[in-house]
Amino acid sequence: MFGTHYRIERKSVILAVAIMIVASIGGLIEIAPLFTIDDTVETDPDMRVYTPLELAGRNIYIREGCYACHSQMIRTLQDEVERYGPYSLAVESKYDHPMLWGSKRTGPDLARIGGKYSDQWHTAHLTNPRDVVPQSIMPRYGWLGRAQLHTAHLGDDLRAMRAVGVPYTDAMIANAAADAVAQASPDDDTAGLVERYGEETQVRTFDGDRRTVSEMDALVAYLQILGKLSKAAEQPAKAVAAAATAPAAAEGGQARP
Amino acid sequence: MTIDHHMLVGFAKSFGLFYLLAMAAVALIYACWPANRNRFDKAARDIIDDEDRPWH
Amino acid sequence: MSERQRGLIVLAVLAFIGLAMAVAGAGRGDPLQAHGYIVLLFSIGIGCVLLKGYFAPEPPATRLDSYYDDPSKVGIVLAMGWAVFGMFVGDWVAWLLAFPDLTFDAAWSSFGRLRPAHTTGVIFGFGGNALIATSFHVMQRTARARMPDQFSPWFVLIGYNLFCLLAVSGYFLGITQSKEYAEPEWYADIWLVIVWVTYLLLYLRTLARRKEPHIYVANWYYLAFILVVAILHVVNNLAVPASFAGAKSYSAFAGVQDAMTQWWYGHNAVAFFLTAGFLGMLYYYLPKRAERPIYSYRMSIIGFWGITFFYMWAGSHHLHYTALPQWVQTLGMTFSVMLIVPSWIAAANALLTLNGAWHKVRDDATLRFMMMAAIFYGLSTFEGSFMAIRSVNSLSHYTDWTIGHVHAGAMGWVALITFGSIYALVPWLWKRERMYSPALVEVHFWLALAGTLVYVFAMWNSGIIQGLMWRTYSDSGTLTYSFLDSMVAMHPYYVARAVGGLLFLIGAVVGCYNIWMTIRRPSGAEATADTPLPATMQPAE
Repeated sequence: MFGTHYRIERKSVILAVAIMIVASIGGLIEIAPLFTIDDTVETDPDMRVYTPLELAGRNIYIREGCYACHSQMIRTLQDEVERYGPYSLAVESKYDHPMLWGSKRTGPDLARIGGKYSDQWHTAHLTNPRDVVPQSIMPRYGWLGRAQLHTAHLGDDLRAMRAVGVPYTDAMIANAAADAVAQASPDDDTAGLVERYGEETQVRTFDGDRRTVSEMDALVAYLQILGKLSKAAEQPAKAVAAAATAPAAAEGGQARP
Repeated sequence: MTIDHHMLVGFAKSFGLFYLLAMAAVALIYACWPANRNRFDKAARDIIDDEDRPWH
Repeated sequence: MSERQRGLIVLAVLAFIGLAMAVAGAGRGDPLQAHGYIVLLFSIGIGCVLLKGYFAPEPPATRLDSYYDDPSKVGIVLAMGWAVFGMFVGDWVAWLLAFPDLTFDAAWSSFGRLRPAHTTGVIFGFGGNALIATSFHVMQRTARARMPDQFSPWFVLIGYNLFCLLAVSGYFLGITQSKEYAEPEWYADIWLVIVWVTYLLLYLRTLARRKEPHIYVANWYYLAFILVVAILHVVNNLAVPASFAGAKSYSAFAGVQDAMTQWWYGHNAVAFFLTAGFLGMLYYYLPKRAERPIYSYRMSIIGFWGITFFYMWAGSHHLHYTALPQWVQTLGMTFSVMLIVPSWIAAANALLTLNGAWHKVRDDATLRFMMMAAIFYGLSTFEGSFMAIRSVNSLSHYTDWTIGHVHAGAMGWVALITFGSIYALVPWLWKRERMYSPALVEVHFWLALAGTLVYVFAMWNSGIIQGLMWRTYSDSGTLTYSFLDSMVAMHPYYVARAVGGLLFLIGAVVGCYNIWMTIRRPSGAEATADTPLPATMQPAE
């Protein structure tokens, strides 16, 4: 049916090929150099990877479409740096498959939200935002606290992430499900988790409920790690100095009287 | 690798302009080629006619 | 093998795949299970329709003397159905931004899941079906040739709607890969590739049969739409599934590369899905309806190559002041500004075509839909180039101004040219003298225009206020407003926007009624299939 018995008509094929050539060059030229970019941008050898629980939380963030209203990209503008913290560096999202920079701030930027509020605040806020911030227009996510997190197949998720370039070890993949549970169960044995993911891994009952690991646990664990996987942007003196000298920042601060 | 990246970026920064000029020239020449005039006029006119069946 | 047998085999394979998905998903407790059932039921449903006519006599050979329009007819009905669905969800989420508890306490109905259902519903459901339906119509007319077979167009149309169904139901179920305007997961993406390749081949095969040596320019635009969307779709959706028994996948790209790839896709989806294809519509239905050849055929060709070339560079203007290297941002800005040239060539060409026929525009709401679309196209492309300038973008980005800009394009340009084309096309396809009610076309026009204006002005206001509040400093050198202050200030504009959207939605419902009545009512002057249609068909007269 796909027609070898139709003659290949020259004119329409030439037109099609011409369209492809004219159209594809622009993207190619802009995107190709970005894959050799690792040589020129900052690097962070100490950068941590998402734990299984944080990755599960990130997937909930994606599933609920949080990125539609919250950006995770602080631009090199003075007011943004003052409002949200040091501007985002490329290296900070190098393990983000996909990136969640966002395009709209119906709510505030979340690139550095980690650690700014307590777990209790996040849990209460996600359950009903208007209990904590009366004017908020954020949706309620009460069911996250009631839904148990599916941890059984998290090893598959880590394996897929490794396939696209995130350095998860075999031990991380093998223990993914157990590590996810351990991170939200501080009373249990968490030595393996901490050994695999580092001393700074946050082990807490994020949603305040010790009995189960809920989707709320995962999402709060993810929110609390935002901006904390890499310390590259965390040297305030250096970052602010850079923002002040970047031409972009000066341009953006023009509203200042 | 650094050279590769610089090369790619340099190419990206300069090539677009030449490509743009060449492409624009080809498109303009094709569109304004005098011999094409009748064909274009006919094409523009022909869709207006009311015949609603395939030709054989 | 007859076309009916071919259809049954494809459906059987599809049903089997659906069953396999359901079983695999059930094993993991994965939402893929629900999608498996949807594919299975969909295939069985279409199979029943096919079987109903399976033993009917083969259509007579005389069918080859006419164009094959049944898929276009179904496509138009589907497009209008998706329009009402997508716009309803859109208006719902608009109200949610003003009154956040106006929904159910259930996961499926939360803002984050409804919003992609709105964007997919209107862009792919409404826009995509309208493009497929009109492209089938235009390619046959301008080639003066019937489609080469009857199987491929149905495969394309039905397969495409299965993709839309998987996409939208997926969001409700919590299946999304979060890439804006490319949310569906890997299996739906693979399915769309198969459908799309068939679509491209169908188009090329029809063009190959043409009796007219020159390929009319509308086909160039449709062809660019099909080809480039294929490239964009494949590259942007490269991903590794966590498991073939699960819906979740992980993008092949990360961070900066992913951002650039996604906005290269995102911006060019606007270019080739929401512009090129609809310019194809404009370049056929506008001259046809006005009964005047396009003002300058040369301009349409120059504009075509300009749009095809320039757009591809422009995507990085979505990433100004981010971690994307500055030279890429500058390149994107430069080409975005230059993009104004081919865009205005197209808008001017459309308006100049109407110059001298303003009395028709005055009397004929259908033609007025098209004219207003050209005006909004000119306005929103100007606005787009303006917003791509870095210093403007520093204010407009992340604000409602972007939303206003998108809707000036989506409502003012895409939807208006589509409604205009559909109002022109429906009487031709169903062999009616005119639409059921020209007065209702007029009502729809004014509702759509009023809705668009209210929407766009509300978003301009809220976006600019938002942007200014975020960067206002007090005398003591601190930020004057908290984020919350800016959010509270948006409330009246969000209400106004929702009202504008409601007007637009009501207009679409009126349009559906009018189209439905046109189809149902046997026209007094019903032409037999072999009678050429009079050129002077004009509903408003």
